[in-house]
Amino acid sequence: MIATDAALLEQALTGAEDAFTALYRRRQGGVYRFALQMTGSSAIAEDVTQEAFLALILHGTRYDEERGTVASFLYGIARNLVLRRIDRRPWAEMEITEECAGPEDLLEELTRRESIEQVRQAVLSLPPVFREAVVLCDLQDSSYEEAAAALDCPVGTVRSRLNRGRAMLARKLRGVAVV
Amino acid sequence: MKSGDWAVTALRALAEHDRKREAPEEVETRLLAAFRKKQVRRQVKTVALATLAVAAGITMFFARPQPKPKQVVPMPERRQPIAVAAAPAPMPTAKPKPRQVKRQPREVVTQFFPLLDVATPFERGELLRVTVPASTMRTVGLPVNEDHLTDRVYADVLVGQEGLARAIRFVSYEQ
Repeated sequence: MIATDAALLEQALTGAEDAFTALYRRRQGGVYRFALQMTGSSAIAEDVTQEAFLALILHGTRYDEERGTVASFLYGIARNLVLRRIDRRPWAEMEITEECAGPEDLLEELTRRESIEQVRQAVLSLPPVFREAVVLCDLQDSSYEEAAAALDCPVGTVRSRLNRGRAMLARKLRGVAVV
Repeated sequence: MKSGDWAVTALRALAEHDRKREAPEEVETRLLAAFRKKQVRRQVKTVALATLAVAAGITMFFARPQPKPKQVVPMPERRQPIAVAAAPAPMPTAKPKPRQVKRQPREVVTQFFPLLDVATPFERGELLRVTVPASTMRTVGLPVNEDHLTDRVYADVLVGQEGLARAIRFVSYEQ
């Protein structure tokens, strides 16, 4: 039987390293991608992931199962860390580096990648309140409830921010072919 | 296609593109090191607290008011009368009183109550006699009258090889 996140966290807080490792491996990808898509910087995403799980080690007892899932608790921590960095950092910098594809489909790959990067830039240009709703619900597949718990706001607010964010994105992306 | 749908399609492509992105392995290594460090700190803290509790108990035990030893008042020196001619009269010898045998109070102890939920196997340890507030008895589920919560009671603390207080039992005396 697969242990739930909450069970793993409970065990980790009593000192079970295996439980912490399992929880980290299950959730680090989502936290890392959330920070990456919110900031556009892999260095910041790495820092945020590390600090979010460090906070879980040190203050994991603050997690309340009634207020949301462990994932939303982690996104909430990551969100606060990201917002602190957004205040300090100009958005012109983009540090995402990727490996190149093979030469046979290079042109197609570059065109697709260019389009993807345009989408990424468009997401990054959204005001943070709309960006976080879009990143959580559309890029991280979080439910409205999970996003609401992470963003500490009502579900209705998440829905309206998401709709406005999508509309803003559609205007920015007119003419970009991504499929 | 609606503008919202178009945006969702674009976002799906980005999500798919980023799907395999993860934090580098060094992050896991650093976090595990931090996790272990925290565990060590926690153990040290537990040992320190247990040691502190035992030390406090021992201090209180020795600091309680001890019965004052009776002061021996030296008898004033008496000058021996100078014997002149008459021989001294024989002194009456007092019969020694039978000694009163004091009955030692009988020690009554409770069972040992474990203080650690999880502990390494017990190898060796020490039993320390300390005094603790009677309220401590409540922490292991023994009934204590409200009026006597601050009274001091004797207890034996079993300290394991690692310095952790593992179990406690309470002691009372019956006359």
